[in-house]
Amino acid sequence: MLKGFGTFLLKELKELMRDPKILLPMIVVPLVMFPVLGGVMGYAMQAAQEQAIKAALVVVNNDCGNWSNTFINFLQGLSAMGFNLMIYTESNIKPLTSEKVLELLSKYNTTQILEIPDGFSQNITIHFNNPNVRAYVRLYSVLRGTSVFENIGSSAVDALIGMFNRQHAPDILYSEKATVIKGEVKYGVDPMAVSGLLMYQSIVLPMMVLLLISYAPQIAAASMAVEKEEKTLETLLTLPIDRLAILWGKLLSSIIVAAIGAVVYTAGYSYTLGSVMAGTPARLNVDLAALGLVPSTLGYLLLGLSLFVTIVSVLALSVILAAFAEDVRGAQALVGNIYPMIFLPSIALIYLDINTLPLAFKLVLFAIPFSHPMIASKAIIVGDLWTVTLGIIYVSAFTLVVMYAASKLFATEKILTAKIKFKGLKKRKGVSAEES
Amino acid sequence: MEASNVVKVFGSVHALDGLSFKVKPGEIYGLIGPNGAGKTTALRVVSTLLLPTAGTVKVFGLDVVEKAAEVRRIISYLPEEAGAYRYLSGWEYLEFMAKFSAKSKDEVRAMVAEAAEICGLGERLKDKTKTYSKGMKRRLLVARALMAKPKLAILDEPTSGLDVIHSYHVREIIKKYVREHGVTVLLSSHNMLEVEHLCDRVALINKGRLVAEGSPQELKEKYGCSNLEEVFAKVVKIA
Repeated sequence: MLKGFGTFLLKELKELMRDPKILLPMIVVPLVMFPVLGGVMGYAMQAAQEQAIKAALVVVNNDCGNWSNTFINFLQGLSAMGFNLMIYTESNIKPLTSEKVLELLSKYNTTQILEIPDGFSQNITIHFNNPNVRAYVRLYSVLRGTSVFENIGSSAVDALIGMFNRQHAPDILYSEKATVIKGEVKYGVDPMAVSGLLMYQSIVLPMMVLLLISYAPQIAAASMAVEKEEKTLETLLTLPIDRLAILWGKLLSSIIVAAIGAVVYTAGYSYTLGSVMAGTPARLNVDLAALGLVPSTLGYLLLGLSLFVTIVSVLALSVILAAFAEDVRGAQALVGNIYPMIFLPSIALIYLDINTLPLAFKLVLFAIPFSHPMIASKAIIVGDLWTVTLGIIYVSAFTLVVMYAASKLFATEKILTAKIKFKGLKKRKGVSAEES
Repeated sequence: MEASNVVKVFGSVHALDGLSFKVKPGEIYGLIGPNGAGKTTALRVVSTLLLPTAGTVKVFGLDVVEKAAEVRRIISYLPEEAGAYRYLSGWEYLEFMAKFSAKSKDEVRAMVAEAAEICGLGERLKDKTKTYSKGMKRRLLVARALMAKPKLAILDEPTSGLDVIHSYHVREIIKKYVREHGVTVLLSSHNMLEVEHLCDRVALINKGRLVAEGSPQELKEKYGCSNLEEVFAKVVKIA
């Protein structure tokens, strides 16, 4: 073993574990963060399940034969068995046009319609002699947000069809899919496939955003703190250079370096995710652009703007915090305290659709400036540019306040003399030392 | 340069307590005093880093509070514990600094060439500053402070960390600069030999106040001492 290694290791551990600047983000923050995150995930799953179970299913019987009645009885029997499924039936709406579908969705305030087409009973009867002939039902599902649990509703109906098949004969019945997107019925489009692709899209983009927002503060904080640690700040502040130029230089260089890092990471992430999902889009033959589910140019521009103002605010906040630290380690620990505000809403928004959240939860997410690029990255996919624009206005106002504070700090001697002292902890430590 | 009744308070500590002194153009003026006397605070106020709590400081007629940006154009400050950017080479560091004072690329080149001569680091200027010894770094920083030929050079312990040979070299450079370029120098030092050798006049400060002032010769005669070290000990004891 290396000579003196044990002694040195002990010293290092003592120094690290006694430093409140490290303790706070390393131990206290995760203790709060993970239970909150667990709660958010649990809520998301529960909400999606409840919605799927409680959702009313409108069955349109255009067959009115023996087997269609058997199928409807089977569905109604399920609710008698304890499945919390509301079944409404309508008969003979022929043809079931897009307009009629939308009308029924609105009338029953539901997201799922099951059409039993003409010839359903006949096909099932033939199936017992010729298994090649199968009956089908058409499921119309409404695609709303971009939550991970979005497709639970349609998969629940698929599960019911599976149960019906098990009762009578395997493969007797299958479902054809139609998806209602932005008030238009798209035939042959599986909501699960669309949802999966949207997830892919709505994860890659937010992940890049998240990476950028989480990289930049560390870089900005380090670049500020290293000036103090390496004793270059004093010289810098006496040079004929505008103090705001120093601030902006640090902010911009951090953005550039963080952006490079984000691009590299996202390329890697995207490649990995692409490999995992290889074949899926081609097999399902879903063209998101044709379905109007690809962000518009304006959408991308707004996302860029949202990202820019948010990053400037995060960076300015980091530089302010770093100015209060004496060295790089202290600065990074101080900046670590803003991470829960970046990660919690970001991770929550990957799993949740903000539109389905309770008002209080929604307000909290909107109030955290760092959650807006994530909200924007999902909102532009469904074309909700108003939410993005309002977010940009809100974050810009927040950024202006932070920039004002940062420029004030840079204009005074505080930039040189400011220090955060952990008085409370020191005091308590002193008392316990005296007591012992 | 003129400081009048300068007070600087940090919380309950009076770092400067009515300090006044004048530095004539082209003069090398030294501030000496024990640790905590307020030398560095005084230099930081003159160099626009700290705001005086009370009193005024003027550099060539410019108030350091009201005309801070203009003052920064004519001064050059070398802090006692200054560092250089670790991942820049010596050349890059000098070039970076020169760009703030120079008006053209030629001027930048001239300044860097001047600084290279002052520091005498030769080929090592191509290496990153993180590879430099403490002495090499200090020579680089002294050269940086002088290369722009400021009207007032404020040097906090200019030979701090340098060995005898390099200290001598730096002192000669400072003297030469004052002679050739009419640079005014305000410096602080613990090294009495350095002060005696370099300064035209010195101010002894203690507890943020000026307790004695004059040329090294005048002070030695006034206090009946053979060198400044004895004067220093005597004055501080009396104060």
